[in-house]
Amino acid sequence: MKPELQFFIGKGGVGKSTISAITSVHLARNSSDILLVSMDPAHNQRDIFQNHFSEKPKRVSNHLEVKEVDVDYWIAKYLKETQKTIKQTYSYESAFNLQNYFDVLQFSPGLEEYALLLAFEDVIHKSAGKDIIIFDMAPTALTLRFFSMPFITLIWLKELLKLREQIYAKKEIISRIKVFQKEIQQDKVKDKLRLLIQNYEGLRDLFISGATRINLVLNDDSLSISEAFRIEQKLIDIGMHIDTIVINKVQDKKIPERVKNEFNSRKFSLFPIASENLMGYEALKEYVSMNPQTFLSN
Amino acid sequence: MTWSPENTVFSILKVIKAKLAAAFAMGDKVMRSRAVAALEYEAEELDNIFAILVLGVLIGMPSPPIHITMELLPDMEKEFQIMLEKVTTAHDPLGDLFSVLGIN
Repeated sequence: MKPELQFFIGKGGVGKSTISAITSVHLARNSSDILLVSMDPAHNQRDIFQNHFSEKPKRVSNHLEVKEVDVDYWIAKYLKETQKTIKQTYSYESAFNLQNYFDVLQFSPGLEEYALLLAFEDVIHKSAGKDIIIFDMAPTALTLRFFSMPFITLIWLKELLKLREQIYAKKEIISRIKVFQKEIQQDKVKDKLRLLIQNYEGLRDLFISGATRINLVLNDDSLSISEAFRIEQKLIDIGMHIDTIVINKVQDKKIPERVKNEFNSRKFSLFPIASENLMGYEALKEYVSMNPQTFLSN
Repeated sequence: MTWSPENTVFSILKVIKAKLAAAFAMGDKVMRSRAVAALEYEAEELDNIFAILVLGVLIGMPSPPIHITMELLPDMEKEFQIMLEKVTTAHDPLGDLFSVLGIN
């Protein structure tokens, strides 16, 4: 069975990492196998759990593992693999000339979210045995670029495939008319475009499927609420929907009026303000025990 | 085969037939090449447009998301070379077009 995916998103500083950690501890205590993945380059999970995490998932309790995505590692790995393929397929001279471009390409905008997407695919590929995978996401801008990547990429790929098919059709006509013309080879670029389209359609479908739950974390303050509203609109634009509005640091265990007004008819989850700093696995466990009503709806 | 006037004429006719066939084949090849010259030019131009769309970042032009460039780059050596050639001959694009269309 495929694992359920839970994303915690929201404005920087609202407590996405803390809520992801608390939720992971709560679900793991209920005997579900949980993987908590930190996708935020700031990597707060190591401070919250008071532990050292890396690309390799580390077990923190019987049913909970934590891993940190290293974006730089994924960018370097991807560039190295692409360069290796180019050396295999290109003539020596062309490959040599491209070397200079590669030194610059690694700083290109867009590679960071692509690295996140590669890391995400790797997590999905390697976590078949898990019940739930929880993603502690980066702040808004990077997260929105991450989610919209399959949708934007598909628009490009489909247009490029159309143009490629047009070129291939013309080459076929030329090949038929000309005598002694070699039969045109199978177009590798067209095949690659089709493969990429298939892959990104899979990711897009996964993002909008029922197995993916987006939890939008916010605090009871105007900036956080208005940014949360904009995040929801952006996600709606690409066909994704918020599952739960998570209100962090609530004082009186009630949904604040302005949050209720802005997001009426949504599912809410309330996380009371912690009496002391939530540092370490034991502190997280204690918070879960002290606030059982928070998890009733989950 | 013994010599006779008929055989000589037959041999000469065979040679003429072969020459005519070769000339016809050559003419056919030339005509076919001329018939598709414009189409070949168009296909090459489309290849170049495709290359600029995907690999434009390598010659300083806006491009699709960088990962599309990176994914397709390994299979686009030919288009990459065409694009670089077009960039170097870009000062005389009309001359290039006129030579294909046979305009002096």
